[in-house]
Amino acid sequence: MRVQPLSERLSKTKRERSNRVTGDLTIPVLTILLSAFGVLMVYSASSYTAKTQYGDEFYFMKKQLLGFVLGVIAMGFLAFFDHRKLKKIRYIALIVPMVLLALVFVPGIGKSNYGATRWIGFGSVTIQPSELAKYGFVIFASAYMSEHMQAMRTFKGMLPVLAAGGAICVLIILEPNMSVTMCVGLLMLAMIFLGGMKLRYFLFILVPALVAVPVLIIMEPYRLLRLSAFIDPWASPKNEGYQLIQSLYALGNGGWFGTGLFRSRQKYRFLPFAESDFILSIIGEEFGFVGIFILFLICGVLIYKGIKTAAEADDFFSFLLASGITLVYGIQTVVNALVVSGTIPPTGLPLPLVSSGNTSLIITMASMGILYGISRKNAMARKGIERVNKRRR
Amino acid sequence: MAITFLFCLLAGRFFYVQVVWSGQLGYRALDQWMREIPVVAERGIITDRNGVVLAENDTSYTVFARSNAVKDKEGTAKLLADCLDVDGEKLLDKLESVKASEITVARHVDKSAIETLAEAGPEGVYYSRDNTRVYPKGDALCQVLGFTSTDNSGTTGIEKYYDKYLAGTNGELLYETDLVGINLEGAVAAYLPAENGMNVRLTIDYGIQSICESVLEKVAETYSPVSAECIVLDPNTFEILALANYPSYDLNEVPRDDTELLNKLSRNSIVCDIYEPGSTFKIVTAAADIEESLQGNPNAFSTSYVFSSSRTRTVDGTTVKCWSNHANGKHCNQTLADALNNSCNPCFTDIALSLGKTTFYDYLSAFGFGKATGIDYSGEAIGMLLPESAVRDCDLARIGFGQTIAVSGLQLACATAAAVNGGYYYTPHLVKSIYASDGYVLSETEKSLKNRTVSEKASSTLAAMLEGVVRDGSGKKAYIEGYRVGGKTGTAQKYEDGHIAAGKYVSSFVGFFPADKPQYLALVIVDEPQGAYYGSVVAAPCAKEIFEGIISLKNIQPYQSE
Repeated sequence: MRVQPLSERLSKTKRERSNRVTGDLTIPVLTILLSAFGVLMVYSASSYTAKTQYGDEFYFMKKQLLGFVLGVIAMGFLAFFDHRKLKKIRYIALIVPMVLLALVFVPGIGKSNYGATRWIGFGSVTIQPSELAKYGFVIFASAYMSEHMQAMRTFKGMLPVLAAGGAICVLIILEPNMSVTMCVGLLMLAMIFLGGMKLRYFLFILVPALVAVPVLIIMEPYRLLRLSAFIDPWASPKNEGYQLIQSLYALGNGGWFGTGLFRSRQKYRFLPFAESDFILSIIGEEFGFVGIFILFLICGVLIYKGIKTAAEADDFFSFLLASGITLVYGIQTVVNALVVSGTIPPTGLPLPLVSSGNTSLIITMASMGILYGISRKNAMARKGIERVNKRRR
Repeated sequence: MAITFLFCLLAGRFFYVQVVWSGQLGYRALDQWMREIPVVAERGIITDRNGVVLAENDTSYTVFARSNAVKDKEGTAKLLADCLDVDGEKLLDKLESVKASEITVARHVDKSAIETLAEAGPEGVYYSRDNTRVYPKGDALCQVLGFTSTDNSGTTGIEKYYDKYLAGTNGELLYETDLVGINLEGAVAAYLPAENGMNVRLTIDYGIQSICESVLEKVAETYSPVSAECIVLDPNTFEILALANYPSYDLNEVPRDDTELLNKLSRNSIVCDIYEPGSTFKIVTAAADIEESLQGNPNAFSTSYVFSSSRTRTVDGTTVKCWSNHANGKHCNQTLADALNNSCNPCFTDIALSLGKTTFYDYLSAFGFGKATGIDYSGEAIGMLLPESAVRDCDLARIGFGQTIAVSGLQLACATAAAVNGGYYYTPHLVKSIYASDGYVLSETEKSLKNRTVSEKASSTLAAMLEGVVRDGSGKKAYIEGYRVGGKTGTAQKYEDGHIAAGKYVSSFVGFFPADKPQYLALVIVDEPQGAYYGSVVAAPCAKEIFEGIISLKNIQPYQSE
């Protein structure tokens, strides 16, 4: 672990002279900013569709607003919650989402949409267990790996982590949901790497994983079609290439500065999932390249702060947990942006904090609360050091 | 580092899509954002010289369906099939297969059908106003007017030749719509107004046209010819006053399914087909001789010269015979005037040969043979004239009386007019002016002189001789008491596969009046008349009827001898 130069710490602690120790406030501030912007954009992107489909232009926005409020509460709660206690619930954190993932396949509970069963519903409440599973895995892996630091250097030692990650992947791919599976896979690899895995073992896992990708693609014909549509979307503008084309139209329409808020043309039912997976297209259309650039900057700062928090963490668990949370956010953001811009084949993955979808929103905000909590603990620890230094002086 | 790299990659990619690729994407996207409803420009009307409407428009409607917006595809297809007389199954097929675009269900739908349809109010079905071309006079002037295709563009005749003026420019109503074609609230509908077509005023006089058409019908009834044509023009301007071809067809019911029949019926024979003129051509030969004689050409025969009374001439070892047997003092001691009266072939052979190839061909050229008249009609025939270099004396001898040459009716009429009007060859035309409905005149066709043919004096001499032909000679059947009609008959044998076709003649008569200052000139051609074949018998009376018709129509007072 990197240790910061003393002088730097000292300069910081001057600002944190007050009794109430604050962490890196940038994290919650940016989280709330992005989520609030998300609520606005969900309204903009969905108002027309909501009005024609549900007769209420605020239909999606209201749901998102509820998620935002719950998310703020969750974030606030977890910000002052000792994240180290999460260690204790590692098995619960792993098993509950997996049970929920399994429940997806139970008829009557699992809810299908667009050819995939990804949701479970209790009355009007539906949740997406795969969103929970990602964080469940992060908690479990952080806890397990920080406890078995020595074992992680052997292949055998990290098998439980691999097994947990693999099981989640299998459950998600059965939904089917290729993109989330890949994200979890990527997350798993990154976590193991951070956990101290040796490089040669790493390759040992990476190679089969890379082999699995084409196999999985061939297994489901729709994936192959999507892939070919990605290469030339205009070959099948009405079918596989449709979504990508519509996304590109939206971005293209944005140009440098965009059409202006609420002035999207593509939201008029041309772009499917405009309020969820492809909300970035609408943002790009209404705010242009400049808007997208600023949004990326904000996301980048948030990711940077996450990494910084992880780097400053005192213990290995906190380090892994902060890294995991940042990774989940970062991977999803980057993959979503790549999909929306037609850089990688289209997959259904939300832009965290911004896209509509309450499960994702609440849990991401909650995770940011944990991240802030870790940064706060870091600050407290620094304060402790400062006191020690004072005494020495 | 990795983050910076990813950040740059993403920013770069978005920059490419949003800024570099933007224009092209926008162009493609525009297509799906807008629904266009054409605003059909009204096609210009066509009138005769006095404003009688010959072609105009009826308001009709075009029905479109946007398949995405049609919810009940089967029901809608059935409804449309019932209302619009279209194939319901085909339509259903289209509605199910064609996505996100407009289907034209039917064109030229009349208002009552639209009203029925609108009552049912099917979703996803739209209407736009259209025009259906109508010809109030049915088959009058049908070959000249021509017709339009279902999308209102000119296919033949004036409709085609003047299409760029008549057509106008279609406008568009652009609606911003959502994916399924539902108009967006508050969206601005762009309106590009249609620019209506210009109107065309013909030189045709509908009154004279009707006279000609009824005359042709009558002659067709009497002699059952293959076809009959006539043209009336004003010799002073070469404005075509009437142009009729028999048989004709109703422009409102164009036999579009029978291409062969349509081609035949829609052919403007008098302009586009050629025939061997025969004796009417002697006018040209006579004109050349008179002019040359006046100019003192020793090879020309003066008007008092008496031609040899022999029935035959031998040229290059071939014999040229007169149609008459010259027995019992017929065709004896003829002057040029007598030769015209009798239509005596050998005399005209003498003229052609005596003037010689070079001089005679100069006149043929001046009278417009072997070249286009320049009429404003597409597909004009230029005729068949042996090239000067290839013509032999035996050919020249026959050209002198209208054989071994093929001309269009229009060429002959123009040549005659240019011979008797003082010697002016103008460009014949069918359109007098092109004007907008608000009165703005885009262009007015002025008479345009192409070239001189003969002098005023030669011309008046010839006209007087031709008056004699009608008064005393072969053209008697065209004589009208009190009106100075001049003219010349023609009876030509038809050739089939290079041989004379027995019993097949083309009877013709070209006449004009008044002879001293011609105002009207008419050419009547009857192809393969049955029962009689002499131009003097078949065609001359037709010309007389036409002239009589014109006289009563225009209330022309008879000539008073002082």
